[in-house]
Amino acid sequence: MMLLQDKYRIAVLAAYALALHGFEGLLPMPIPWLRLGLANIITLVALMLYGFRTAITVTLIRVIIASIFTGTFLGPAFILSFGGGVAGTAAMGLALLIGRNVFGPVGLSLIGALFHNAGQLVLAYFLFIQRIEAVLIISPVLILIGTLTGVTNGVISDLLIKNLTRPDEDAAVFPTTGPSTE
Amino acid sequence: MKKTIRDTTVADRLLFVLLIAAAVAGLFISREAMSQSNDVIVEINGSPAYTFPLTTDRTFTVQGALWETVIEIKGRKVRIKEAHCPNRICVREGWVSKGAIICLPNRVVVVVGGTGRSGKDIDAVTG
Repeated sequence: MMLLQDKYRIAVLAAYALALHGFEGLLPMPIPWLRLGLANIITLVALMLYGFRTAITVTLIRVIIASIFTGTFLGPAFILSFGGGVAGTAAMGLALLIGRNVFGPVGLSLIGALFHNAGQLVLAYFLFIQRIEAVLIISPVLILIGTLTGVTNGVISDLLIKNLTRPDEDAAVFPTTGPSTE
Repeated sequence: MKKTIRDTTVADRLLFVLLIAAAVAGLFISREAMSQSNDVIVEINGSPAYTFPLTTDRTFTVQGALWETVIEIKGRKVRIKEAHCPNRICVREGWVSKGAIICLPNRVVVVVGGTGRSGKDIDAVTG
């Protein structure tokens, strides 16, 4: 049973994620398929503040609506984006489940980035490429870029979480009532 | 920002170092692998006649200028298995994974890597 405030929170978070996703698409990139994964900041914040269900819901909404906006719904790019999003969010959720104090936001963000890439690569391999050499050659590049963007997003997420949960501040961006709020 | 970096857990930092190390190691390994070409080119009478992938094991026979030459590809290496020339220099060269095996009398050249001869790179012309 999903409470009304949960739905509201998910809607707000998904809107932020979509805005970041769209903004990121506007940035010129040296390599066309390179993405910063800024929307993962919202996924991570949702995961750490409101739990796994909120995070995965926000991710799914973001992936589906973004693909409808760009006209790639159910296309190859959508399948990769979907697989990467689910794999990344699931991995972060699992890592958080292992222990809240084992990984901080930066570590979780790194895990998310790694599994996002891994999920996409596995899907790309089975559906589109089927050439293991190509996958092996691109993997280190993806790991390196993913680690750098992962750290950046992790730091931003940490700052965001710290600001959102600051007790003396009343100006929370998201409504903070909920069972899993720290 | 400073506080964020201070707040990272041991696992966070360990993961970061591990990922960077894995990526750098992977980059070097893949570059090493990339530098080895995956094609075996057989040239007869100076012009490329056949191209085979180095990754598939096979044995085949080509017709050279004078007689047949049996070439074997196995485990990313190539050799001339059988030739009928008097010296069998090409056969004695054994397994080659990089470079070329040349059978002069039969005018058969087996190039691994594709960079051995491009036709345009002339080192020097004399006479």
